[in-house]
Amino acid sequence: MTRTTKIVGTAVFLAVVLVGIPAFITVSERWDLYYTLTSVALLSIASGGVWLTFYIGRINIGQGAYALMGGYVSAILVVKYGVSFWLTLPLAGLFCAAASVVIGLPILRLRGVYFAMVTLVLTEVARLLMLALPITNGAKGITNIPLPGSVKIFGLTLIPDFATLSNVRPAFYYLSVILMIVSFAALYRLVNSRLGKLCRSLQQNEELASSIGVNISYLRIIAYVISSFLGGIGGAIFGAISQSVYPSSFTIVDSINFMLNCFLGGLGYVFGPILGTFVLYFGWDLLFETGRFQLLIFSTVLIGLILALPNGLLSLRFKRASWGSSGRE
Amino acid sequence: MNDILQVIDLTKRFGGLTAVSNVTFSVRELEILSVIGPNGAGKSTLFKLIASFLRTSGGEVRFRGERISNLAPHITARKGIVRTFQETNIFKGMTVRENVIIAHHLRSKASLFGFFIGSPVAVRDEREFGRSADRILEFLGLGEIANEIASNLPQGHLRALGIAIGLSTEPAVLLLDEPFAGMNHDETMRAVEMVRSVRDRGVTLLLVEHDMSAVMKISDRIVVLNFGEKIAEGTPAEIQKNESVIEAYLGSEDESIGL
Amino acid sequence: MEQVIANGLYLGAQYALIALGLTLIFALMNILNFAHGQLYVIGGFVTYTIYGRLELPFVVALFAAAVTLAVIGAFIERFLFRTVIKRSIREESTMLLAAGLAFFLDAVILLIFGEKQRGVPKLVNGIFNWDFRLIMPYDRILIGFLAILSIVTFVLYMQYSKTGRAMRALAQDRVAAQLMGVNVERYSMIGFALGAMLAGVVGGLLVTITGVNSGIGGPISIKAFMMVMIGGAGVISGAIAGGFILGMMESVGLTVLHSYGDITYLVIFASLMVFLCIRPQGLMGKPWG
Repeated sequence: MTRTTKIVGTAVFLAVVLVGIPAFITVSERWDLYYTLTSVALLSIASGGVWLTFYIGRINIGQGAYALMGGYVSAILVVKYGVSFWLTLPLAGLFCAAASVVIGLPILRLRGVYFAMVTLVLTEVARLLMLALPITNGAKGITNIPLPGSVKIFGLTLIPDFATLSNVRPAFYYLSVILMIVSFAALYRLVNSRLGKLCRSLQQNEELASSIGVNISYLRIIAYVISSFLGGIGGAIFGAISQSVYPSSFTIVDSINFMLNCFLGGLGYVFGPILGTFVLYFGWDLLFETGRFQLLIFSTVLIGLILALPNGLLSLRFKRASWGSSGRE
Repeated sequence: MNDILQVIDLTKRFGGLTAVSNVTFSVRELEILSVIGPNGAGKSTLFKLIASFLRTSGGEVRFRGERISNLAPHITARKGIVRTFQETNIFKGMTVRENVIIAHHLRSKASLFGFFIGSPVAVRDEREFGRSADRILEFLGLGEIANEIASNLPQGHLRALGIAIGLSTEPAVLLLDEPFAGMNHDETMRAVEMVRSVRDRGVTLLLVEHDMSAVMKISDRIVVLNFGEKIAEGTPAEIQKNESVIEAYLGSEDESIGL
Repeated sequence: MEQVIANGLYLGAQYALIALGLTLIFALMNILNFAHGQLYVIGGFVTYTIYGRLELPFVVALFAAAVTLAVIGAFIERFLFRTVIKRSIREESTMLLAAGLAFFLDAVILLIFGEKQRGVPKLVNGIFNWDFRLIMPYDRILIGFLAILSIVTFVLYMQYSKTGRAMRALAQDRVAAQLMGVNVERYSMIGFALGAMLAGVVGGLLVTITGVNSGIGGPISIKAFMMVMIGGAGVISGAIAGGFILGMMESVGLTVLHSYGDITYLVIFASLMVFLCIRPQGLMGKPWG
């Protein structure tokens, strides 16, 4: 991919996402598409986090736990302490980041299916914890979460109070999509920087990486922290949109879905999660018309895709960003 | 000449098995010291202990007087003790040049975050790494294949790349694990020259090796292990005449000592 | 006390059978079969159809379930997993396939068998009552016994039969087994079929006690994973141990912590996480890494 192609491609993508889609929706009056695409954007942020853990060689089926945590932190801060949503967003992310350090330190040593299983259990533990803790209101969850308020600096309204908007959906759409773009831009930069190369070295030959001075545990924790941060903010925004958070808001199925999104898009590509999430979520939604056969058709197509393109959708088009194994292309 | 590395009473037990037993010797600065011994003598284990890839069961390793045993491997590497590996000594999926560049990591002055945001220090580091990598590749004769994927290289080049990676860290002491394995005579002679020139760049070298002719040619001194214990230490000439060494090798089934 | 132990044993035997199937598949092909629970459900429904609806003898129904699942398992391995393994770069692609398969089977089950909870008439009536210290319906005892019988048969089969030995060799070291002339592909298929069959048999057994419905596939898969993790992935004794341990924990937990409900599972899961951090290979697994 030449540099010009990349720039043009990015510009086109941004134009479509920021201008084209809203225009299309306004014209066609398919307002429901806003919700669908907003969900895609948020879910791809969380999936991006999972993608990053794959990058350091771990199978992460625990992102649902962080999405849930993020959702609750934001909800509790807004409802019980009256904190502005915009402030709770980074706070939720940071809370998840901190939690992930504590959790990550013991579990990141594990490899392969062992790590996967522990993270699977983690998602369930998070759900049960949210059920049990008094502060999270148990099974009743946290409801009636007010819409995000305004952000004013020196009397200038940067972001209007969502409650005053006639149509809240475009606002959430822009919020989610912009965050998605920022997150993936950051991931892209990370992967192509020295940090990314170090992670690849860790992936390819852990011992050798140690012997040239790479602090493996440190690197892993950093990746895991970033991953959990992304999960947290995704969950927080979801809570704001649905204006409620329950222990069942994010379950093991969601954790598995995040993972599937990464797989389908292609683990070798930074933007894979976006494509994977889009296809899986949108595809599922589109098939709604088929009624009883929705799951059947969905899963059949999914299996077909896996058989045809086991290395992900993007492997059709792009050369893998040096993953390193037997050189099978 | 100072002792740059001291192995003092080093011991390693795996369950009931003692792999290394009370081994003591010193390595002088800028010398080439080889560790030899029959198969299973504990040479690999010794290397792993020195480079902190294994925890000791007793004794210690000192680098310039400072204890380095039982530190995390990457910390030992930062202090200047770097180890190359017997197999899997490269990053398979990267090109030769990328392999060498990334090994410069130790010498980078910018923080990880600096690299992420592209700080001036980071940018300067990257440029310098590129230049240094090219120099090292030239020096080891890998310049022409700089853009080959590392896993495609033939044996001889793989070894050279392993050494290039080790060199990139600007080590004080480089531990070479069987650098001449699988080479024919010509390749070995070339490799011997290469290893010598590495020393001439200011690196102390510690080798584990089976190829006796290479060992005798290249080493300033030799330490002999058998069944985890040191049985002899001295110059190549002294070792070749040493009774217990000869016995150890005759007693085992592998190669002759190449007298 | 005896009640708790008896319940634990009964549950444990069932769980162990499920775990055995899962661990066999994992041992042979390094695949985490996300769809294992669905295989159990199919077994239950087949048994329900043949024994409950067609009113044929239970033994026939159970046999039919076993055969159906063996065929399904073989098919899955031969046409789905083998293809993906050949063509993909990363090992984890099989997980993706397994997950897709789980969805697919769920869909098929729902379409063919509907979403209602189904049950069958009891096999044996009456309740065993030992002084009110131990109360267990006879059919549970029978099923528990059948489960243990199946476990023993399976272990003996793996230990002494030619097929079993071949599969164990394959599980230990794929390359070495190949060099010794073991037809890797054939035995992978047989292994998967066998694993699926075990799941189906448990489904068939338990449909007589707890019935079956289309939604329990997922939770059963998760429980199966947990058992395998506790006991040690890829090790037969580990699966059995894991199954019985989980059975016991559930029995104890539900009795002792009865009033606390979900806390039982929270405690179980949290302890499992801690345990796995300390000993990732489970109780009997080979030290990994």
